[in-house]
Amino acid sequence: MELVLDSVSKTFGGIVAVDNVSASMPHDKITALIGPNGAGKTTLFNTITGFDPPDRGSITFDGKQINGLAPWRVAELGLIRTFQTPVGFTTLTVWESMLCAATPHAVETPIQALIGRKGRASEREAETRAAGIVEELGLTELVDLRTDELSSGDRKLLEFARQLMAEPRLLLLDEPAAAVAPTNIGRLSQLIRRLRDERGLGSLIIDHNLSFLMEIADAVYVLDHGRVIAFGPPDEIAADPEVKRIYLGEQEGDQT
Amino acid sequence: MTSPVFWIGVLTLALIYGSLAMVLNVESGWGGMWDLGTAGLLASGAYFYAIVTIDDPGLGTTFVPGWPMWLAWPAAALFTGVVAFVIAIPALRLRREYFLITTLAFAEIIRHLIVIQSDLTRGTTGIANIGRPLDGMVSGRNYNYVLFAIVAFATVIVYLITRRLGTSPYGRTLRAARDNEALALALGKRVNRMRLLTFVTAGVIIGAIAPLYLFFIRAISPSLFAPGFTFTVWTALIIGGMGSIRGGVAGAVVLIVFTEAVGLIELDPSRINILIAIEPFMVGLFLILVLRFRPEGLFTERKAFGVPRAKVDSSAAPTATADSLS
Repeated sequence: MELVLDSVSKTFGGIVAVDNVSASMPHDKITALIGPNGAGKTTLFNTITGFDPPDRGSITFDGKQINGLAPWRVAELGLIRTFQTPVGFTTLTVWESMLCAATPHAVETPIQALIGRKGRASEREAETRAAGIVEELGLTELVDLRTDELSSGDRKLLEFARQLMAEPRLLLLDEPAAAVAPTNIGRLSQLIRRLRDERGLGSLIIDHNLSFLMEIADAVYVLDHGRVIAFGPPDEIAADPEVKRIYLGEQEGDQT
Repeated sequence: MTSPVFWIGVLTLALIYGSLAMVLNVESGWGGMWDLGTAGLLASGAYFYAIVTIDDPGLGTTFVPGWPMWLAWPAAALFTGVVAFVIAIPALRLRREYFLITTLAFAEIIRHLIVIQSDLTRGTTGIANIGRPLDGMVSGRNYNYVLFAIVAFATVIVYLITRRLGTSPYGRTLRAARDNEALALALGKRVNRMRLLTFVTAGVIIGAIAPLYLFFIRAISPSLFAPGFTFTVWTALIIGGMGSIRGGVAGAVVLIVFTEAVGLIELDPSRINILIAIEPFMVGLFLILVLRFRPEGLFTERKAFGVPRAKVDSSAAPTATADSLS
């Protein structure tokens, strides 16, 4: 099972944000997507998840064509994304957010809500799973707090926990290490790796923290001006002169 | 001047507004759909009911269906649901203030249609002497108590329905999508379908409330359903607390009773103009004071769904724990 992009392009006005990108990401591997600001990384996420459908090309997941599908349908297939800024469901408590993320396949109708019993099986099942995930991520103490009362680091954790509730088959993480204290990045890497090794749940990760990404990624795609300019295992990418020039070179340029 | 019958009438009206405010809360408080079309939907249900129960050919309308109450009442609810569906299809493509202005426009269209289609609705003349349940069995002024009991019973039902909706997984998803639509979509929630169903459900309940309003006012004309009606329902909800569970009905009782009480101030007849001018001013001042001291309303969403603060404080510090990432 894999996510396959075939000559995907996305244009906004006259600007080509994603230019003829072809890629394949296995569902049980960690794939990194790097590139300078404005390279089209988040746009690519949006085209995959149905928020900004591509103008050209095709996207398939598990052999099923997903371009043109609504975002909720893409999510239903198991492609669960996060967002760059983890705003969350601001007024819901951590616990409510967790339960809300469950059972993406069945959004209740008002009629079902009226006739459904309190503590129905689906709800009980969600509570059990939520308790497990909350425990695993060390959020147990915070379950009764509202999302907008959390620190940004905890909100990041909640985002992770919530997306796991949605029964993902591949995670799409948009800058998971941003706003996370440097000392805790190790924990984050460990978590992402453990999901891959123990559950066969891979991730497609965008981040600017290269040392974090290069350490956990099985494969790296480098994007520049909407185009894939390099692809390979992390050590190979780190040594690629073209990548150094475009990606790292620009960083040096920024600093001067 | 202040006979019990008068106050029973005031309370009956307050509960009708309160029921509508609780329905509005499902759409706007929890669903984030700022609906300014309550009066239009209420007019749809009320006119449908009034027209299908006409049994006097002397009124000069095209149809004299003469439906019995038990048929007309649920039919009015369903009809209003259909009207809500028709409004929702275009309106739900829009958000926030654009949604608001579209629903307001539809409500006005409905009101003007009622004026224009005078063969069916008797236009601005309106329809009077609408039949009421148990009428004739109870005499004269005592009927007010019967009507109050009926309306109070209906208000309890609306309260139970909206509370159930709000506390169910469906209600939770509704609030979640209000807070962050993109995230709800990314978690596989069919946000638009859910909102459509919510809007139609609200329409059905408003249509079911409409006959009660008719029983209370006895005669309808299009002017009753001007935007001011919707604004009163909104004001009641805001005083009571948007997003809470019982705020709508509490706000309506406070607002309507206060408004009526201001109207009862005894003045020298020569100064009656001053009173008329000062009445909306007093209501406005009252609203400002309520919101100054209870900005989230008399009841709050936090209280309705959150956990008592004390429990949280004793179990954990509200910031990051040692285990977390930051």
